[in-house]
Amino acid sequence: MKSKIAQLIALSVFLSLLPLFTPPAYLYIIGLGIVFAVIVASWDLIVGYAGQVNLGHTTFVGLGAYTAAILQVPSRIGMNLEIHPILSIILAGTFSAIVALGIGIVTLRLKGYYFSLVTAILPLVFMQKVFIWKDIFGGEEGFSIPVEKVAFAATIEKYYFALLFMFLSILFMLYISNSKLGIRFKAIRDSEELSESLGINVTYYKVLAVVISSFFAGMAGAIFVNYRHTVAPDLYDVPLMLLIILSAVIGGLGSLIGPLLMGLVIYLAKNWWLTFLKFGILNEEVILYAILIAIAILMPEGVYGRRIFLKQIIKKLQN
Amino acid sequence: MIEIIELLLFGTAIGGIFALIASGFSLIFGVSRILNFAHGVCFAVSAYSAIFLIKEFSLDVYLASLIGIAIAVLLGLVVYAITKPVRANAVMVIIVTLAFALLVERVILTSFGNRGMSLTPFVEGVQVIYENLRMAKMRLIAIPVAIALLLALDLFINKSMAGKRIQAVSQDLEASMLIGINVEWIFIITIAISSALAGFAGILYSQIFNIYPAMILRVLIYAFAIVILGGLGSIRGSILASFIVGYVFVATMKTLGTHWSEFVMLIVIVGILIAKPTGIFGVRE
Repeated sequence: MKSKIAQLIALSVFLSLLPLFTPPAYLYIIGLGIVFAVIVASWDLIVGYAGQVNLGHTTFVGLGAYTAAILQVPSRIGMNLEIHPILSIILAGTFSAIVALGIGIVTLRLKGYYFSLVTAILPLVFMQKVFIWKDIFGGEEGFSIPVEKVAFAATIEKYYFALLFMFLSILFMLYISNSKLGIRFKAIRDSEELSESLGINVTYYKVLAVVISSFFAGMAGAIFVNYRHTVAPDLYDVPLMLLIILSAVIGGLGSLIGPLLMGLVIYLAKNWWLTFLKFGILNEEVILYAILIAIAILMPEGVYGRRIFLKQIIKKLQN
Repeated sequence: MIEIIELLLFGTAIGGIFALIASGFSLIFGVSRILNFAHGVCFAVSAYSAIFLIKEFSLDVYLASLIGIAIAVLLGLVVYAITKPVRANAVMVIIVTLAFALLVERVILTSFGNRGMSLTPFVEGVQVIYENLRMAKMRLIAIPVAIALLLALDLFINKSMAGKRIQAVSQDLEASMLIGINVEWIFIITIAISSALAGFAGILYSQIFNIYPAMILRVLIYAFAIVILGGLGSIRGSILASFIVGYVFVATMKTLGTHWSEFVMLIVIVGILIAKPTGIFGVRE
């Protein structure tokens, strides 16, 4: 726990020094990567800790994004509201958490694959609302939020806001993962029957895990919108979901810091370092998916897990 | 009245196609406990291969469809190969098959584009059934073809020796190994049959509707709705549930529009999970 907090502080200090020697254009994309990394960590909380495979995490990201966007541009639903952007971000997280509560109550009281099956189709279902009410949600292109309505306008301000968001939410998640709550999550992940016989209310804690994780996903979606000044259905879409899974699996499920770090790296790789790759049917996405399949087969414990594994080998050698 | 008959006929055709997909999905899950998120790949790739073969090599539509189904079977075997090392870990199986599905979707997207495409139908033209009641011949033909295939599948599973072995493995894996069933072979046979059925469904579907790359994942919505409605792992339940979903799908399309069909499917799924989670045919594992 202490070493993980130290790693988080080290990462935050490093990222807070980046603006000193990085041009704003790169800073912009690194900031988006930071927000994405929080989404990956929040997915790790439900999958890596509570052991419930949520395949529709982007539903909650997208719901948060559209909630914040509508609250900040209320004229789209014909209302006249004045809501501070920070409040709208928190409301977005709350709304995602409420939807997650409903989905969780229906699916998580059942054992087995029902939660995965239902969450897998959620993004596809919720994406359709964008096309059904085109006037409100803007269809395929989404809509943009005027500069005077967003939280921060300058890139440097947005960057530090994203960083602060990352620091606080990961600190909170680390606290949860090490508290009694986190231990119960892990007990449920390792054996549902055993946890039940110990008197743990399994359904209650599973639903709580998905609610907490979706709250952060919703807020992250809202910050994405405030960062890019536009909202579009790509925040709901399955490719984003797979990018989250890819980062968490490579980072190592159930470690929070591993997925966080890998989330940042994978986001930058996809949107910056690999964008020049285009040979026929090969593009950066195809390569990333192929890497995911290879990693899942060859080292399912992820890079962060590998690191601990290596340490153990070194220790054995020393003895 | 005419509208109701039309709805019933069209719903039966769509339900039959859905049944071909869902029974395979259910079969794979029952035998190997793999949730195959790449099942839509076989569905879409067979249709796209047939379209490509007809366009580039001007093949006969029957031959092109046959090659398309063969390619679907090959892809099913690829799914078998990539899930084999991680089969014990349900999370990794889902991740690997989902990644494979998206990889294939990207490849199809870059080579064929996002535009809807359709396959030359086996039989062209419109059949006049009764005065104003007209339907595309292909939609009518899809009904007996799909039902014949489903009956053949049911006979194979329940009557043949290989089918009985498949049932044995899905009931108890370890016990089947003990009595000398080659479980790996059963897995391979199951996935090959299921992929062929999904491939055939893709051929039929693309002769009635347009097919586009996003179908690889979208078709899973209907497959999930069907297997939850019919009970996970039960093939007869899946087949019956397919027709119900088919009628719901057509009714939604005619009244609210296609955009609503996913929403309605979600409502169906949530409704069943609240009321009777084991599925309406009450198959318990």
